[in-house]
Amino acid sequence: MIKIVGITFQGVLRDKVFHGILLVAGLFLFIPSASAFSMRQVPQLAITLSLSLTSFLLLLLAVFLGGTSLWKDVERRYTHSVLGGTPISRASYVLGKYSGVSLFVMATAFLLGVLSLAAIWFAAMAYPPDRPLLWLNILIAVFFDALKYVLLVAVAFLLSTVSTSFFLPIFGTIATFLAGSATQNVYDYLQTPQGEQLSAGVKAAALFFYYMLPNFSAFDLKANAIYSLPLDPGGLLLTFAYAAVYIAILLSSASLLFTRRELQ
Amino acid sequence: MKSVALLAALVVVYAALLLPFTRHLRQRPFLEKVGYLPQPFILQTLAADQRYAMAAGLIFNVLAYYGTLVEKNLFGADIPPDHSTMQTTLITASRLDPYNMDIYYFAQSMAWNSNKIREITELLEYGMRYRDWDFYLPFFAGFNSAYFLKDYAAAAPHFATAARLSGSDLFTRLASRYMYEAGQTGLAIDYLTAMIQSSKNEAIKKTFQTRYAALLEVRRIEQARDVFRQKTGRLPKSIVELQDAGVLAPPPGDPYGGEFYLEPDGTVRTTSKFANPSQDNQ
Repeated sequence: MIKIVGITFQGVLRDKVFHGILLVAGLFLFIPSASAFSMRQVPQLAITLSLSLTSFLLLLLAVFLGGTSLWKDVERRYTHSVLGGTPISRASYVLGKYSGVSLFVMATAFLLGVLSLAAIWFAAMAYPPDRPLLWLNILIAVFFDALKYVLLVAVAFLLSTVSTSFFLPIFGTIATFLAGSATQNVYDYLQTPQGEQLSAGVKAAALFFYYMLPNFSAFDLKANAIYSLPLDPGGLLLTFAYAAVYIAILLSSASLLFTRRELQ
Repeated sequence: MKSVALLAALVVVYAALLLPFTRHLRQRPFLEKVGYLPQPFILQTLAADQRYAMAAGLIFNVLAYYGTLVEKNLFGADIPPDHSTMQTTLITASRLDPYNMDIYYFAQSMAWNSNKIREITELLEYGMRYRDWDFYLPFFAGFNSAYFLKDYAAAAPHFATAARLSGSDLFTRLASRYMYEAGQTGLAIDYLTAMIQSSKNEAIKKTFQTRYAALLEVRRIEQARDVFRQKTGRLPKSIVELQDAGVLAPPPGDPYGGEFYLEPDGTVRTTSKFANPSQDNQ
């Protein structure tokens, strides 16, 4: 399995998607000067832009690598030759591919995190902030962002195991991301007086999706990073555990489905 | 060969289109440029984890629009800003990123030329729930309540909060001054001094500086009026009377292009109403 992790990691490095994303990462160079447009919070705007760009690039990686990695292997019949000619089980194969892509997402997050810190540092040097910046908060925000996309990669893998085209993994993953980012808002709305007036059916459907879909808003620590707000260690631990369990469920399902799938 | 000629012709047509196309986009009303914003809840939901960047984008739109307008008006144009759309955009941005100081700072900078002081103050009070460390927001809210709304009871606790957060006795003095309902012009000058010192945006700084220069002239006339009253036991009838009595020299000048005059009760007014002719005024 470790061999598959290594091969996947190297394969992604050579992937054109990754090269395109690296080009877009050049936008980090413009963040310090773009932040100067802020009237009262230049370093905070630098953090906002850095974290947003990081998140956007990781989303692209998660969707395109997660959605196409397994599908491409099946399409090119690599899976057929690898699984047919070696003693690797299908479950190990899925886990190996997933680990390779996830490791790559984490490594890219680290690289983008370093670029973010450099951009923020330049902006903060030119315009010292009113409140001290909490660098650890920024790093933790990047880490949890990466964790969110590792979870999204697991969603993409689950969809890849049942799909015969790349449409479902790609668009299904994007839809899951949008819905998973919105469920907390909808849940909060249900608790308001206007929300309580909704019909029981709508409320039940909203609650069903709230508990079923991954809750991505828990991983959004941007406000804590941008405005140096204190983090809740207990909440971070819970979010980490939530991600671990959710990923485990998705991967178990993906392995199960891939094992039973008929490969040509 | 034919296809190369066709491509070249298309490039020429494109180049010819660019100028009127760019002009058209530049001249679009602000409401069209910023677009019809959906309810903040819908934007929040759709923005996913990009809500902070989206808020920054909305603020940038407002700022770019206002900056361009200030520049145009400096060169003789007389285009009234679309305060209503700017304010709606800022309120939407505050729902996406309630911590963003640029929103509150810019909203406050519109206070003098907007007739929606209550809405601006409500926006500041919304921001105070999040930026609970920032003395600027209660400072702005206190100023609006006292200066524009004449609601001294509402102003005093805001100034007290600003004093507590900043550790500065300036706000304590402002609070006490307003408890006595006095020194309106002096308060405005203190406020504008603080705003000019902390202002980084040139367009906004210029509007503050113009207002500051006008209020310095008002204070000069008020001081001359008080000296006149002490000497004669009555209020002067006009600015000219103050000049003739030798208590006001040189003659006051209104940076907004108007002329100062005195109300029967001695209040100093100007025909410009402290605004460009097209703008609303308080």
